[in-house]
Amino acid sequence: MGGSSPCASCKLLRRRCTKDCIFAPYFSSHDPHKFAIVHKVFGASNVSKMLQELPIHQRADAVSSLVYEANARVRDPVYGCVGAISYLQNQVSQLQMQLAVAQAEILCIQMQQEPTLPTDPDDQKSLFLHSNLNNLPQYLNFASSSNVIQDPLKRIISLDMS
Amino acid sequence: MISTRCAACKYLRKRCDTDCIFSPYFPSNDPLKFACVHKIFGASNVGKMLKQLPVHHRAEAANSLCFEAQSRIQDPVYGCTGIISLLQQQIYNAQKQLAIARAEIALNAHQAHLQGGSQFQQIEASSSFNNVAAEPLHVDQSFFDPPWLF
Repeated sequence: MGGSSPCASCKLLRRRCTKDCIFAPYFSSHDPHKFAIVHKVFGASNVSKMLQELPIHQRADAVSSLVYEANARVRDPVYGCVGAISYLQNQVSQLQMQLAVAQAEILCIQMQQEPTLPTDPDDQKSLFLHSNLNNLPQYLNFASSSNVIQDPLKRIISLDMS
Repeated sequence: MISTRCAACKYLRKRCDTDCIFSPYFPSNDPLKFACVHKIFGASNVGKMLKQLPVHHRAEAANSLCFEAQSRIQDPVYGCTGIISLLQQQIYNAQKQLAIARAEIALNAHQAHLQGGSQFQQIEASSSFNNVAAEPLHVDQSFFDPPWLF
């Protein structure tokens, strides 16, 4: 009699939920859908291995990101999260273009206002147009040796914004 | 006899049938690709996911799974969501910078107008970009929430 109810994962997997169950802190029985979707995409065994390899203080975030990715994959079985990444990269590109245009216009205005100053237009342009937005982390540039990469993956993987 | 098994069947040490679901997308010359997706998703899950898709979508699905798996291996805590969070931050920064730049342009135009009509006309003539830059880019942030990451 008594004892806590099994966590969502142990309920789904139909097994005893022990005190040191790796899933219990992150998959409450009140939200069975959360574990169901992660199990569907990644598999309970893989999720367990991934969590075991992480320090405890990082596991909650890892679970949240896995749930997010699993949901994205269920919503979009072809691209999953990658579709969202592609969309956001497009947004970044468009904003960078707009920013470059605006900065070029500022440069134009300033050059018109002070035409006697001995400026090097190229230096000024590179100063204005070089955006710190270009420094995407290295992991976005890893290449797959596969020959079948197409849009939007080609855009993501070939993105070189150094 | 030269083995024609795909990377998946080689990894799983099984016979590669002519109707193997993996072989078109996991060629034997790229063993790492299958190793990544198997580590994160599991061969069985990948096979199920591919089978549920029409054939013309499977190549993209395999590649996106590979990308997600590699992201997760490189960042075991956040995986792809780390990239999404970073891009959201970049969009936020870009919008801020754009707003500042536009405000500066507007201020310059106003100052030029105050200084004299002819100068203002010059700026108007040279600025063919105003209409292009007029509308702010609307990004539906709610679509990409993982709020805890940002």
